Amino acid sequence: MRFPAFAGFLLAALPAVGAAQPSAVLNVYTHPSFAAEWGPGPAVKQAFEDQCDCIVNYTVLESGGDILQRLRLEGEGTGADVVLGLDTGTMETARQTGLLGQHERNLDNLNLPIEWTDEVFVPYDWGYFAFVYDTEQLPEPPTSFEALLNAPDDLKIIIQDPRTSTPGLGLLLWMHSVYGDQAGAKWRQLEDHILATTQSWSDGYYSLFMNGEAPMILSYSTSPAYHMAIDKTDRYQAVAFEEGHYLQVEVAALVKTSDKPELARRFLDFMLTPAFQQHIPLKNVMYPAIDLGDNLPPVFERLITPEKVLYMDPAEVAAKRRSLVDEWLNALTR
Amino acid sequence: MPSPGKPMTETVSAAVFSHPRWRFWPGMLIALSFLVLVLAGLVSLLQAAGSLDPSNVLGNRYLRGVVTFTVWQALLSVLMSLGLALPIALALARHSRFPGRSALLRLMELSLVLPTIVAVSGIIVVYGRQGWFTSAVSAWLPDHGWNLYGLNGILLAHVFFNAPLAARILLQALESVPEPRLRIAAQLGLQSVWLWRAVQWPALKPVLPGVIALVFTLCFTSFAIIMTLGGGPSATTLEVAIYQSLRFEMDFSQAAILALIQLAICASLWWLAFRCRADTGLLPTSARTPHLQVPGWPGQTLINGALVGLFSAFLLAPLVATTARGLPALFSPEGLAAIQNQLLPATGRSLLIAVPAGLGSVVIALLTLAAARQSEGRWHSGLPVVTGYLPLIIPPLVLGTGLFILLRPSPGTPSEGWVLVSLINSLMAVPFVLQVLRGPFLSVDAHTLRQADQLGILGWHRWRWIFWPLLRRPMALGLAYGITLSMGDFGVIAIFGSPGQPTLPVLLYQQLGSYRVESAAGTALWLLALLLIIFAGLSGLTRPKGVFRTIQRRSPYA
Repeated sequence: MRFPAFAGFLLAALPAVGAAQPSAVLNVYTHPSFAAEWGPGPAVKQAFEDQCDCIVNYTVLESGGDILQRLRLEGEGTGADVVLGLDTGTMETARQTGLLGQHERNLDNLNLPIEWTDEVFVPYDWGYFAFVYDTEQLPEPPTSFEALLNAPDDLKIIIQDPRTSTPGLGLLLWMHSVYGDQAGAKWRQLEDHILATTQSWSDGYYSLFMNGEAPMILSYSTSPAYHMAIDKTDRYQAVAFEEGHYLQVEVAALVKTSDKPELARRFLDFMLTPAFQQHIPLKNVMYPAIDLGDNLPPVFERLITPEKVLYMDPAEVAAKRRSLVDEWLNALTR
Repeated sequence: MPSPGKPMTETVSAAVFSHPRWRFWPGMLIALSFLVLVLAGLVSLLQAAGSLDPSNVLGNRYLRGVVTFTVWQALLSVLMSLGLALPIALALARHSRFPGRSALLRLMELSLVLPTIVAVSGIIVVYGRQGWFTSAVSAWLPDHGWNLYGLNGILLAHVFFNAPLAARILLQALESVPEPRLRIAAQLGLQSVWLWRAVQWPALKPVLPGVIALVFTLCFTSFAIIMTLGGGPSATTLEVAIYQSLRFEMDFSQAAILALIQLAICASLWWLAFRCRADTGLLPTSARTPHLQVPGWPGQTLINGALVGLFSAFLLAPLVATTARGLPALFSPEGLAAIQNQLLPATGRSLLIAVPAGLGSVVIALLTLAAARQSEGRWHSGLPVVTGYLPLIIPPLVLGTGLFILLRPSPGTPSEGWVLVSLINSLMAVPFVLQVLRGPFLSVDAHTLRQADQLGILGWHRWRWIFWPLLRRPMALGLAYGITLSMGDFGVIAIFGSPGQPTLPVLLYQQLGSYRVESAAGTALWLLALLLIIFAGLSGLTRPKGVFRTIQRRSPYA
């Protein structure tokens, strides 16, 4: 039995995995799609390190909700300087932890469909929730919620669970914004069209949509940009709904207890420069938070533009979320 | 039970670890510390929750429905998994030498450790609306009404994951039937019902309660499968509700209560399983002679053949689908670059976590069994084994969150985080390793051990000459389970947060989160191949050589 010796050797080799790091380290909590090798994370890290004389260190958590969760658990002892990857659905809960500081930045050059005056959160990208459809399976998709609800029963869609997924919650807010008190009844009407309600967007996209199980999936209006620019295919398109589309804004904030607040603020400033924002369109597949002018990839010109932007104030979302989830549950689990 | 690696404390003349306390205390200490860890995790969660109001949960119609559905689907899954596993195990025990048998065994071991998203995606390619199976059935039976989404899909996936595991454990029990009993059965010409009553049932009875409890628990705590294939919120398990309250509602109190409900249901089942097992004697052991003919009934071979063939196809189809989807991605120019730049480094990192985790789980399982045996008949005898099963019924999210609260405010370095992930992974694998090791470990009967005591075969020698020959193969299987379970783990590493460099499952999720569906298919195939290699490699390494091999591997049913 040489097992323990071998295990000891492996354990001893572990510290070699974490590389040695210089003095000023900016700790950023973020989620996988940002930090992935092909996400904006690595290029952004490089660009910021070139000008800050510091090291950017990402801690990658499963989702925006997990970033918030981690922050809450660590409390004032948190090692994070910046959190990046919260969104308008989780923002208010994050604010209520009291762990985030005011950004004190000038946000004049923001380019969002809504006016942004928040003193804690700085937006870095945005997008609309939309149904993406497979043009080969479904040449003529329904162009409104009403049309979807009244479509023949064999038109199936894939959605995500609002209890576990950001787009899932987005659909809940979308339906609420469109139908208000009628939303519960409309959910019951939609039920026949729902093939699957997956835990995460990834499960639905990979396991179901890309396997051709249903021709429509709840996603983002920007999703086709990736398929058109990177996969070089026009097969997957988003459909514009007449009732309008719900807006998601992704945000970052600095942590109050950080011992490098200047560095953290410099990072937030850097976030709204082209050096950062140019990586957003195709690497995060969202709209950049500032006007990139000619640097916006041409495929973005071909995306749908909603006639009406639906948006609920984050405080309202936080106040209503639980009752909306309950309404959804009651509608679908009679 | 020896614990190699600890300093030698006995006198020079005695073998290392000779004192009986070595068989008891290491396992007992591990059990106790794990129990403390779990309790501390739960208590810190409850403390963070502040007030606790069970009526809030029990009075909630939705949550009551969740509990009912969770139990209901788990019961059905157990019935179906065992209903399939039993005939398969009997057929495989009877036919111990046919081409592809050992490949089938590897396949059966594999299904349990497949990352959910890989298996589910494979299942959908085969049984989904556009699936191979569905199209084939539609060609013959246009109005078949088969629909994967709903209870159908949940049960199908659970059977896919659990029937092979159950069959594997039952087969091991059948293969340990003592030779004299088989010889008598053969001489008496026992058939079907009588063979079952005299030979097979007594062999299966001791392991059955454990297998039932294991499969029930696995299905009870199932999560992503239920959500993806369940169709909607009416298919919600407790684990989903716990996730919801922890991650989205930050309601620690509700999470803790739900975790306690889960704990109570699963723990009482395990308690029942242990009570059943207590009535049955330990399996004696003896060397087996090759070739003992137990007569079968006419047509049995044919039916068994068809059964095993269908079962193989059932296990293989989703894997073939995964392969078909991943191959083009892996062997494109882009894919080959990805192997070098992403897959190989990620594999290295995964192995760095998984190999220690696998070794840890085998050592913990052995020490646990030793401590349980040493304390047999005393009040604390159940403790080591009970705690060995705790990892199954504690929701990982609850344990992880609890530990996190406990360990704060020290976030630790990434490498410390990885050691923690490795440790938790090894604990998570212990229940499976225990299942694999228990039978062979207990097959060393009291008589042999008494003789060994008299002859002074103690400590290291006792381990080397009595246990090792019997345990090397099960240990290799246990190690394979430990390594591969950790290898496919996404949950634990996600709780603690990974540094920039991803392990294989994290890489897979990163690709999925960034629309890299093709690359993700390649990564899924890579992971699948790696898991297969680990099982095949470890089983090949420990295969007895030469003459010994033919004697040991030939089943007495042949």
